[in-house]
Amino acid sequence: MFLAVFSPKGNDEVSLDATLMQQLLRRDVSAFEELYERHSRIVYSLVLRILRQGSTAEEVVQDVFLQLWRNSARYDTSRPFVPWLLTLARNRALDHLRLKSERQRRREEQTEELPQIASAAPEYEKVLDEKRRAERVRALIGSLPSAQKKAIELAYFEGLSHSEIAAALNEPLGTVKSWIRNGLMRLKESLQATS
Amino acid sequence: MNSHDQFRELLEAYAIGSLDSADRALLEAHLASGCVECAKALEEARWLVSQLAYLAPNAEPSDLLKGRLLQTVRAEAAGSPARPQAVRGAEVPWWLWAGVAALLLFSVYSAWNEQHLRNAVANLQLQVEAQRTERLKLEQQLLAAKMQAHEAMIWSDPKSVKIKMPPKDPNMPQLEAMWHPEMGLVVRGWKVPSPGEKRVLQLWLIPKKAGGKPMPSVTFWPDADGTFTAMVENPPHALSDTQALAVTEEPMGGSPQPTSAPMWVGGVS
Repeated sequence: MFLAVFSPKGNDEVSLDATLMQQLLRRDVSAFEELYERHSRIVYSLVLRILRQGSTAEEVVQDVFLQLWRNSARYDTSRPFVPWLLTLARNRALDHLRLKSERQRRREEQTEELPQIASAAPEYEKVLDEKRRAERVRALIGSLPSAQKKAIELAYFEGLSHSEIAAALNEPLGTVKSWIRNGLMRLKESLQATS
Repeated sequence: MNSHDQFRELLEAYAIGSLDSADRALLEAHLASGCVECAKALEEARWLVSQLAYLAPNAEPSDLLKGRLLQTVRAEAAGSPARPQAVRGAEVPWWLWAGVAALLLFSVYSAWNEQHLRNAVANLQLQVEAQRTERLKLEQQLLAAKMQAHEAMIWSDPKSVKIKMPPKDPNMPQLEAMWHPEMGLVVRGWKVPSPGEKRVLQLWLIPKKAGGKPMPSVTFWPDADGTFTAMVENPPHALSDTQALAVTEEPMGGSPQPTSAPMWVGGVS
């Protein structure tokens, strides 16, 4: 169990998403509209950051939300919604990127893992609201040395492997591996911190 | 450190998708062996990685997107099958039961038939949607291939004029442009740093005519490696009317006139 800042709002937001997803199972259009209102900005921001082209990003966001609508039955409402949605959006955007650059087949294999993604959240997801988590993520990653930050961004937003990142940054492979793991460990500690 | 600890160290990289194939195969074999502790830690690592989405600069989709989505969703919701209603029993004469039973049988058959048809329609819609997505992908691939071929033709045609664009800042790399009188203009750069947040690079055409204002052209970003290719198929000025090309950093979406000093300038000979 992780220590975390208590914030009832965070918990409420998680359960509101779960409620809306249950309504979506009953084909409730207003629930879909509310989910879109709540999460379209972060989904679009993420997809645009990966694809860097507004029209393509909107096409991918449309696919993501239609998949949400059409396959809502496949989502387990007891599990955290936003990480699941963000992972779905990231994989869709990276698929588009891969289509353009015909990058390696590694990600195709990973796409198949989608149903398992973010199937459980640590305790602090339920107690830190989205805005505060976003602030902490930006502050922590922003505080890393620029090369380490770049390595994490290349992995997350460009879908590059350790070897590809090492080549792109002209750094030893071991250094890149350490940067990514240590950066994520520091992020974890930051999200667990009580203040 | 035992082998289990070594696997634990790979989980974050696996969750972000950056593990190279050999490490990934080892870890997947370990996970497939049923290690509950690693499976739980992986779920947490996946959650942690998903939080990196908040690093993306804030952006807002257009209202048109919401309109399109809601239109599709409402249309599909209108076609959803109705929920089955419970049937209550009551004391009635046998002949009425028989009539009710016949009606019920007919209703059940009708409902089944309707459901069957709806499923068939839904399957067809899914197939159409899948074909549409496939067609879009193919169109994108075709367009990208055409663009690349067009760029290659401009770059290799002897009628093209090469324009070197040295940087104002000596620490920045030089850009190169190739201008073909009929096929257009291509600008390329390597190891170019990304512009600031919500900023883009923009190409300008400086006219020869005295007092002529810089003509705005395409905006672009370098990729993660600092590489970019910007193509202008129909430049606003002819090659012979252009004195120089320039590149500035501008707000997202570009500007009608430069708002910052040129970072690269290349004279058109």
